[in-house]
Amino acid sequence: MAGRSDNKQNRQEFSMDQPLINRRQALGLLGATGAVTALGSLGVPMTARAAGAGHVVVVGGGFGGATAAKFLKRFNPAVEVTLVEASEHFYTCPFSNWYLGGLREMAYIRHGYDELKDRYGVHVVHATAEDVDGDRHEVRLSTGERVRYDKLVLSPGIDFDWDGLEGYDEAAAEKAPHAWKAGEQTRLLRSQLEAMDDGGLFILRAPDNPFRCPPGPYERVSLIAHYFKEHKPRSKILLLDAKDNFSKQPLFMDGWEQVYGDMIEWVGASQDGNVISVDADNLTVETEFGSRHQADVLNIVPPQQAGFIAHRAGVADDSGWVPVKPQTFESTQVDDIYVVGDATIAAPMPKSGFCANAQAKVVASAIVSEFAGHEPPPAIWNNTCYSLIAPGYGISVAGVYKVIDGQIAEVPGSGGVSPRDTDEAFRAREAEYAVNWYEAMSEDTWGTRFRG
Amino acid sequence: MREVQTSSKPLNNRAAAIAVGALLGLAVGLPGAAASEDEIQLRHKELLASTCFACHGVEGRRGEEVPALAGQSFRVLQAQLLAFRDDEVPDTTVMNRIAKGYTDEEIEALASYFSNLER
Repeated sequence: MAGRSDNKQNRQEFSMDQPLINRRQALGLLGATGAVTALGSLGVPMTARAAGAGHVVVVGGGFGGATAAKFLKRFNPAVEVTLVEASEHFYTCPFSNWYLGGLREMAYIRHGYDELKDRYGVHVVHATAEDVDGDRHEVRLSTGERVRYDKLVLSPGIDFDWDGLEGYDEAAAEKAPHAWKAGEQTRLLRSQLEAMDDGGLFILRAPDNPFRCPPGPYERVSLIAHYFKEHKPRSKILLLDAKDNFSKQPLFMDGWEQVYGDMIEWVGASQDGNVISVDADNLTVETEFGSRHQADVLNIVPPQQAGFIAHRAGVADDSGWVPVKPQTFESTQVDDIYVVGDATIAAPMPKSGFCANAQAKVVASAIVSEFAGHEPPPAIWNNTCYSLIAPGYGISVAGVYKVIDGQIAEVPGSGGVSPRDTDEAFRAREAEYAVNWYEAMSEDTWGTRFRG
Repeated sequence: MREVQTSSKPLNNRAAAIAVGALLGLAVGLPGAAASEDEIQLRHKELLASTCFACHGVEGRRGEEVPALAGQSFRVLQAQLLAFRDDEVPDTTVMNRIAKGYTDEEIEALASYFSNLER
């Protein structure tokens, strides 16, 4: 990842060779064509500068970015919003495990930007944001264009720390997929599971904290166990973990035993579960105390950090993640840049799509308030996260968060996980709610309609 | 919401006053149209309500496995949220855990917001 000094040098280069699009020219372009072209969309209509508004550029079209763009417009339609996102579709990590378990098609977890464009008038630019100049308030795109902002919202997601686990790089991920950014990697893992013989061994390596979607590895092995139970019942699953505790642990372990017997074996770090090197060609891993394990299908969830653009913008710190002001999620390092989602240091909020959505609403409210010249309302976020252990067997964690004594904190007494001692009907209802939860948050974020 | 009997009693005066205020604020929604204090309150209410959308649908209009909130009566919404918070709703799965994160005032603001939306 590029450091800040490297960043500065790059900034100077791009500011020299690219003439900035003049706002009048951009407006002329908009007026002449009447269409929102990629170029025209970069213009900021004068009306946006009218009382209490401004131009907000949002980078990243996942849960955080798409929600920020939408709620900026919902809270004040006069705010001009440009969303920069490389891909025309976003595949969610939530419910990608349902795909891996054979319970959903890939199309189910695919979302687009039509609602943002057509209903909310967000300018959607499909390009990669390559650099940010916080002093000049400019984002440089892969097209070479530069976009000026009054406020910038970054929803960078995660990138993998390819130097963080010996033997595991981008090439290795083609053989031993991570499938921790949904899409082609998820398809690859599914195809490997389908090709595996009955009686094979699936190994998942789970990372140390912090990482995207704390319950994700455990739901994944659950739903792969479901697939094995139906199609390859002699197969085994080994979950090698870089830590000794994990999200919803007692609920998962109860469920595994109850539904899958001894199919899933979890090994924590102190029991030599910590994978320290990967040989992707031979689908072999080595652990801290020297054990070697050979898989038939190997899934490595690598160490992670804030997405690339956070580093380019200078908002990430030495931890690789982004410190933010609790009340507004504005960067503590660069003014007028707000950061949401997995890239941020927002503990005790987890790195979840649901939290990214909640954070984006707080950011949108804070920006609209600042444009209007008043204080933002008090921040409040909630998280709800369902995991499926098997069809008809769901569990959840919830939490409500506020700023307490200047820190993000879970409201005392709120939240927590599903009860451990309960009946099948409760688990079945949570499994139903899991589907509603996914569909509702996707609709809230991208406007995706699943029925009717 | 399914555990509490729905009531269609008219709003009391206080609720009605909040309702009118919210409607005016929402309808105008422009900077400068309201005093700064009112605008912060509007933003607060709007932000609070948005915390419900990711499960109950935008503006609480989803209403499939989870109940729709838009257009429910103020009293029912308020009573139901307080009952969730106090663990008085049988067969709750998650709303008891969530409602405990909201104060009396926040619950009142939520009930006001959603009761003033059309179904």
